[in-house]
Amino acid sequence: MIALAYNSWVGSLEFLALAANTLIRTILPPYRFRDILRQVVFVAYESAPIVVFCVSFAAVVTIIEASFHMKLIIKNDAMVPGFASLLILRELGAVVSALLITSRVGAGLAAEVGSMQVTEQIDALRMLGMDPVRYLVVPRFVACVIGGFLLSIVANLVCLYCAMMVSQVSLGYSPGSFLMSMRTFVHFQDLIFSSIKGACFGAVIPLFSCYYGFRCRAGAEGVGLATTNSVVSTSVAIIIIDFVLSWLFTHFY
Amino acid sequence: MIRFENVVKKFGERTVLNGITFSVDAGEILFILGTSGTGKSVLLKNIVGLLRPTSGRIFIDDEEVTHLSEEEYLSIRKKCGMVFQHPALFDSLTVFENIAFGLRRHYQLDEEEIRRRVARVLGLVNLPDVEERFPAKLSYGMQKRVSLARTVAIDPQILLFDEPTTGLDPVTTNTINNLIRDLSRTLHTTSLVVSHDMHCALAIADKILVLDKGSIVAYGTADEMKRSTQPLVKDFLQEALELAKTH
Repeated sequence: MIALAYNSWVGSLEFLALAANTLIRTILPPYRFRDILRQVVFVAYESAPIVVFCVSFAAVVTIIEASFHMKLIIKNDAMVPGFASLLILRELGAVVSALLITSRVGAGLAAEVGSMQVTEQIDALRMLGMDPVRYLVVPRFVACVIGGFLLSIVANLVCLYCAMMVSQVSLGYSPGSFLMSMRTFVHFQDLIFSSIKGACFGAVIPLFSCYYGFRCRAGAEGVGLATTNSVVSTSVAIIIIDFVLSWLFTHFY
Repeated sequence: MIRFENVVKKFGERTVLNGITFSVDAGEILFILGTSGTGKSVLLKNIVGLLRPTSGRIFIDDEEVTHLSEEEYLSIRKKCGMVFQHPALFDSLTVFENIAFGLRRHYQLDEEEIRRRVARVLGLVNLPDVEERFPAKLSYGMQKRVSLARTVAIDPQILLFDEPTTGLDPVTTNTINNLIRDLSRTLHTTSLVVSHDMHCALAIADKILVLDKGSIVAYGTADEMKRSTQPLVKDFLQEALELAKTH
């Protein structure tokens, strides 16, 4: 029990050290623009289709479920477009896209870095005078922050558009009345806060992935475990950060 | 050139190196033999700071490197090259880019000079015409030879080989062993070779060090090893003798 607590403590310190190292190396030159651009394409552009596809369904489910229960309990679904918009902008868009990036990018990154660790490529980098954090973590960190920011905006807009369409088809609210209802409940700053959330979620994805990748033990089982741990830890971190930021943002209304 | 003074390395409660003391002079070839899991690779990684000793002191060119920071170690690593147990080639880079990687990091060379050096080292390991191929498209043996070429390309003063011939065919094994010997004799490169191959060690090593359970059980020249009564050394000699008979 004591050993477990000690290991957790040491692990947390190592994670914080990696995060601090990454931040410092992100700010200080040299900047690896070409690597960053390649990673942005991978994280943001190539993740966009799956994010758009999934949040579209999330929007449909949100409208249908909210309408069904409001009709059931208060016999009126007039506030569904407003509430749904609020839910989408404050939570759904940013969180769903972050969890999708975690499963698509984070898992792959943990497996990639883990394999590099096991096959001594990380040691080879250090021997050739290259800092692994600068070479591997920083481009992915910057790309995931940018990707998280952009994809949360895309997810929100697509989600709102789908919600509007479903409201028209399923509930009979015209786009005009949907937007009127939406304006009562949400403000432009909700979109800004959602994007900030997206960027913060994006930041933790490569940090956890690389942290577990660097600690990866030998063998296929080791790589699998590193990948699993990174996805679970990132998902938990996203939920916790979401709670903290949501609470923090309530002070700005 | 390289000196270990009572070096101990522990991973948690497990002691992997237990009071290691030895030295290697410039231009010498030291073979480190031992059964699997006796700390041979750990010993090599301690020299270049990829692992740090728990206690004891390590000197390179009479400079103590035991407590150098990661940044301070860069100048040490510039004069060291290491061939890892795995080929450790970067998957996303071509063979040319893999070999040029270290040249670009350590030296200010123009592209023409980099191309010339890459071609030269690929020639040394008998691998022409693979420059534009990716590591995944090469066989394991070819990958190990590219790894050796990448290490040699930066003209290191100290070469560390972690089982450089494991998994290779006899012809390539012979080529690599000859290369290790030639680099030492012609360029005065100091080489530390982790191996299981006593036959090869007796042929080209200046000194041989035998590790067992993290401790040195024998250390000396090839002739001293042949006279050794240490059981593990005798086992290795017996195996070398049988290998020589089969050839």
